[in-house]
Parts: sequence; C-alpha cells; structure tokens
Amino acid sequence: MLADFGASVVMVEPPGGSPIRALAPSGRDGTSILAAYVLANKQSVVLDIEDGGQRELVRGLIGRADVLVSSARPSTLARLGLGYAGLRQPSLIMAHVTPFGMTGDLAEAPGNDLAVAALSGWASINGLADREPLKPSGWQSSFCAGTAAYAAILAALHHRDLYPGEGQEVDVAEVEVMAAAFAPAMLGAMYSGEGRGRRKEIDMTGGPVPVADGYFALTISRAHFWRDAMNLLGLTDLAEDPRWEASYYRAAHKDEYVHRVEAAMREWNKMDLFDELAGRRVVAGPVLTMEDLAENDHLGGRGFWTKPTEGQTSIDYPGPSFRMSETPWELRNSAPSPGQHSNQMESGT
Amino acid sequence: MNGPLAGIRGIVLTQAWAGAFCTEMLGLLGADIVQVEVRKRPDSWRGDYHAPMAKMLQGIPTAEHPWNCNALYNSVNLNKRCITLDLQTPEGLDVFKRLLPFADVVAENFSPRVLGNLGLGYDVMKAINPRVILCSLSAYGRGGPWENVPGIGGTIEPTSGMSALLGYPDGPPMNSGQMYPDAVAGLHALSAILTALHHRNRSGHGQYIDLSMQEANLVQIGDAALEYQLTGSVRGRMGNRHHTFAPHGIFRCAGDDRWVALACESDDQWGGLCVAAGHDDWRSDPRLAMNDARKANEDALEATINVWTREWDRDALVAHLRNAGVTVAPVLTAQELAADGRLRERGVVVEVGHDEAGRWPQVASPLHFSRTPATDVRPAPLLGQHTAEVLSELLGMGRADYEQLVAEGISGMGPPD
Repeated sequence: MLADFGASVVMVEPPGGSPIRALAPSGRDGTSILAAYVLANKQSVVLDIEDGGQRELVRGLIGRADVLVSSARPSTLARLGLGYAGLRQPSLIMAHVTPFGMTGDLAEAPGNDLAVAALSGWASINGLADREPLKPSGWQSSFCAGTAAYAAILAALHHRDLYPGEGQEVDVAEVEVMAAAFAPAMLGAMYSGEGRGRRKEIDMTGGPVPVADGYFALTISRAHFWRDAMNLLGLTDLAEDPRWEASYYRAAHKDEYVHRVEAAMREWNKMDLFDELAGRRVVAGPVLTMEDLAENDHLGGRGFWTKPTEGQTSIDYPGPSFRMSETPWELRNSAPSPGQHSNQMESGT
Repeated sequence: MNGPLAGIRGIVLTQAWAGAFCTEMLGLLGADIVQVEVRKRPDSWRGDYHAPMAKMLQGIPTAEHPWNCNALYNSVNLNKRCITLDLQTPEGLDVFKRLLPFADVVAENFSPRVLGNLGLGYDVMKAINPRVILCSLSAYGRGGPWENVPGIGGTIEPTSGMSALLGYPDGPPMNSGQMYPDAVAGLHALSAILTALHHRNRSGHGQYIDLSMQEANLVQIGDAALEYQLTGSVRGRMGNRHHTFAPHGIFRCAGDDRWVALACESDDQWGGLCVAAGHDDWRSDPRLAMNDARKANEDALEATINVWTREWDRDALVAHLRNAGVTVAPVLTAQELAADGRLRERGVVVEVGHDEAGRWPQVASPLHFSRTPATDVRPAPLLGQHTAEVLSELLGMGRADYEQLVAEGISGMGPPD
C-alpha cells in the first residue's frame, strides 16, 4: 500500500528470495501468485542480513529511510542489533507487523493466519456448529494487519509532519487487529450472556442459500427490504404482516418463514434476482466467483482491473481498495525478481 | 485526548459498522470525532427503538433505552461524541454546514445518492472548507452500473468473491459469522483518510475518497483474483487448509466444542509435533514424513491427528505443542477473548463503563505507538448526548437556541416525540 500510493519501497530479501516466493499456488512460469500480488511496485535487493558486512549495507539503507517495516521477532532484531533503540535514528518510523506483537509470552512464538483466526475469536463463529470452526478464507489476518499497519505508519507520518524529527516505533499484532474486527461479536456475547457460536444450519438468515444457478444471500436489515423482497418473491402474506418488519422479531421466529422464502428463491437465477432486487433498492448478494468478477460489468465500468505500466503488462491485477481524487493509487511495476535492483543500490542511486 | 491524531477533528455521518468502525479508529488514535445522527431514522446498529433489552443488561437500572444499549453500536463507537441533526430540514442542514469549517475529516456511508440529495456533495463541502477530506464508503462506489445498488456486509461478502472462498471443501459457499466485509472496509477507509491527512500536511489540499466495499474486500482476496487471471483456474473452498503446508487445520479436543488450531510450516515443526505426540511412527511413515507427502495424503493426516487431539484437554495441548515449537492456538470463544490476559495486558481489551449499559470489557485500539500512545478510551455516546456541548463549543450556540432545535424535532435525544 505504501508503494501503491507513491512511496519508494525497497524490499530486502535474503539470498534465495523472500519465503513468500515459495508459497503455492504458482503461475504458469512457476512464480508464486501471492508474491506477484503483494510484491508489485516494490524494488528488491538481496542481502544476507546474517553477514556482518552486508548487514552494514542494510543499515545504510535504513539510514536513508523514512519508514522501516519489519516482521522479525524481538530476539532476532536484538541479535542483529537492528532494534529501534539501537538504530539511533529518532526521525525513523519503525513498524512491526507480527502475529502476536513484540511483547508478552507469545512474542517469539510461531504464528500464522490460522493461529490468529483461532486466537482472535473469528474461528469460533465461522462455519457450522457440528463441524470444525473455520478460519476466514485466504490471508485475511495478514491483509487486515497489513492495512492497519499502513494506517498506523501514516498516523505516525502525520505526527512527524507536525513535529519534524519525531519518529517512533509502532507495534501491530495480527491477533489484535482481528480482535478489533471481532469487537461487535465480543460485546454482543457480553450483553447477551451467551456465546455467539457457529450456525446450526445454513439458511437465508446467515448467508447464501441455493438458487437455480448458484447461491444467493438475501440478508435483510431494513423493513422495506423485507416488504419489497417478499412481494417480488410472491409471498405477499409475509410482506403485509407488519410484525416481520422488525429485525429482532424476524430473528426470533425465523422457522416460520425461511423454508418458504428459500423455496421461492430457488425458482430464480442469481443475476436475475439481483437485478430485480437492486431495482427495488433491496440489499442482495449473488455469490460471485473470480470468473464472474473478472467479467463483472460494474467492476469493468469502474475501471477496477488494472494492468501494470511496466513489467508484466498483459495481466489484469486487482485495482485499489479506495480511490483518492488527488493522490491516486498506481500500479507501476509487476513484482521484481529477487535482487533486481541490487545494482542500483550498489551504484548509490 | 492522546494519540497521533490529537488535534484532528472529524464531523462524521457514519453508521452501522464499516463507517462507524473507521471513525472509531480515528477517535481511538486521538481525533475528536463528532458523529451526526438522526432521531427519526436511527443508526441501524442502534437497533429498533422498541427492541427488547439484552439479557445481561436487564438488571442494570441505568439500562433504560435499547438504542443506547445495543452491543453492536456500542462496540464500534468508542471515543466519539454524538450530536443529532435532521439534515432534511433547512435548519438542521444549516447547523451542519456551520460545523464544516471545524472539520478536518468528514466521512459517511450512506448509499451514494443520499449526500447529493441532502445538498452536501464534495463540491459543496469543499466550497465551505477547502481543506476538508471527505471519505465516502458505499457498497459499490461512485460510477458504474451498480452505483446506486445498496449493500451491507452480508451481501458484499458474496459479491466481492469472499463467500465463494469461505466454507468446507465439500460444502457450499458461506458468509462469515459476522458481516466481516464491514471491518475490512473500515480499515481501508481509515488508511485512506490518513493518507489524505499526510498529503494535506504537505500540500494544504483536502481531497475526496471513494471507497467501494466490494472492491476493498476483493483486494483482500486479490491473490485469488490474480490466480484466475494468470492460470484460468477458479480457487475452491479450502476450509482451514493451506496451499503449501500440511497439517494446517483445526482439530477437536476433549470436551464440548473445544478446538485447537495447529500447523506445521516446515518438516522441523512436524518433527517437533511427532515427538510431542509420542508418535515417532508418524515421522517414519513415508506418507507423512515430508511436507509434500503430507499434503498429498491430507485426509489421512487430518484423521490421524484428530484421533490424537480429541484425547487432549485443549489448553494442555496448546502448552505442550508451544514448547515443541509447533504453530498452535486454542480456538477462543467471544467470552474467552474478553477475558484474555494477553489482550488485557497490552491494553487492547479494556473495561469500559458506559453511561447506561454498565461496565463491560471492550476492544480498543490494536495499534501501539511508542511516542504518541493512544490509550484514552471513552464509551460509545448516547443518542444525542453531546449536541448542546458541541454546538456550544464550536458555534457558541446558547442553550435557548439548542432547546429551539429540540422543540422543532431537529435535534434532541432518543426517538422522535
């Protein structure tokens, strides 16, 4: 994100390349797809941080940096003399992004998205009650923590803008970012006195249910959504009974309607149902696959998919997560090969 | 107020989760957040005016008003002041416009037509306050055929591609246990606003931010999108599995609904697990010895591990495997999270006393700053609690003028009279 919004970001990789480059799945040329995604717009230099001489080069790079981002454990930084205090660079903003944070009894423990999903509460509410809890799909803890760390770095930059020379250290733990995202479920459990738990069954109140050609979520919030959706589905008695307009009432008596509504939904194709409900300004969600999204008219109309201006330029990459009128996101380069920019560093540019 | 954003003010129209979470984070980082709400159409996360009181609040004498005692609202609106203004009245709109010069940031998550209908587009705000940063969060963003299609977390999850990836490998697509896309959108909106603040510090210019919840969430599974572009294959649902490593799953322990997450991301970790399990035979079994073989035999691997873990007490197993260097964690429930010693020690879970709902553990800021610690935590506001205070402080409005706004139904506390 720093690179996408204009910063010059130099990634220091060990000999053999960053471990992310070894993660499956790979594209046809054997490169890791995750690496292709998250290393875009960066420059790469290969340096062996365990080697004293090369570590001095790393310190030289840090000396020219506004921001240093590290995922190393505290003991590793201490051993290498790369802790914040040891760097003696008061204007530097150093952000740590680790699974469990830089202090406490888990600071040195191995962690990943799965462990964070478990420790943050999220796994306890994803999935079905009679099966194993589910982590969020993909790399959600990593992306959320990365985004939060980006925000924290910008907040620290803001402080430094106002108080020149005042850098600081920022500690971002994946588990704590995901706990912040879990806050509604946690306070809900406090107020209700009962665990939220996982769903006992799949029905329309909790997410997608089958329609003729796929799956579709009709998760009703406001009263008019309910009325308009029930009328469209031909369930006029449900539409007209005002008791159903209150969300707490619908939640308490769902057995009286879900089977009828789901049966009516199965008569529809997902995009037809979506178009009709959208026209009535009712929230509704067809389950879209990556194939659907690649061809999605709306994303196309927004110009979401983006080709890099340099490097691997024929591929549509995902675009920005937000659009800024004055300082737009930009995809300049596809991911560098390991050490692609080492020569530039050596020549001092 | 402390934190890196001390001195920044937001006058915000955020509601429900995504927008409210974004501006709560600004408040937790030290900004003064004045949230503008409307009595006749309360924030959906305040709930229905006539909703029953939550069970654990029923014995609390101050817990009188359901709209001030909704766990959803109170969980994502810490560190804010709440004023009520009916922006559909000329007087309410006028007061809002008089507040704009005091705003560094305005944020809103109405559907896209609303701001324009109110006569409050970015151009209007910019004319009043050229330095203002306006962030709009909506389901599908400005422009494009779905611009005016409404959405919420539960429908953005399917339309962003997230639901298609969440679920058991042998089951249908699922939504998360709680509207996860809102949290994602909130974090990205926070990032956007802070990027704009940094730019404003250097240029003096505000700007407009357009955030589509669909796109923000698609970005967080962008590797699956890129996989389709690069290989033509549509990623399936993987449950708890990993593309590269095995084991990588959540396994049953002794007792009711007790689970442990464990993963081995190297053969060394696997060796540690085998020793800890007292199963040297797993290490010598050619189907299990090396990661590639374990990945190829993952069903058998998981069945083997499940037989072993279900004899164990969850917490004893976690301690045992941590000593062995395995990636391991208990699946914590919401109650366990609220009591978690580590989160409390680091000040992420704190006890917050709310004016009506009483004292409960809540999640505060997850970001730790060494020079500008953001440790001030205040409870979510009551509906309309700070109107008189804010209008007096910023506009110098006297009590009589405030009472007049209340009498006209433009401001006040609680449901419309």
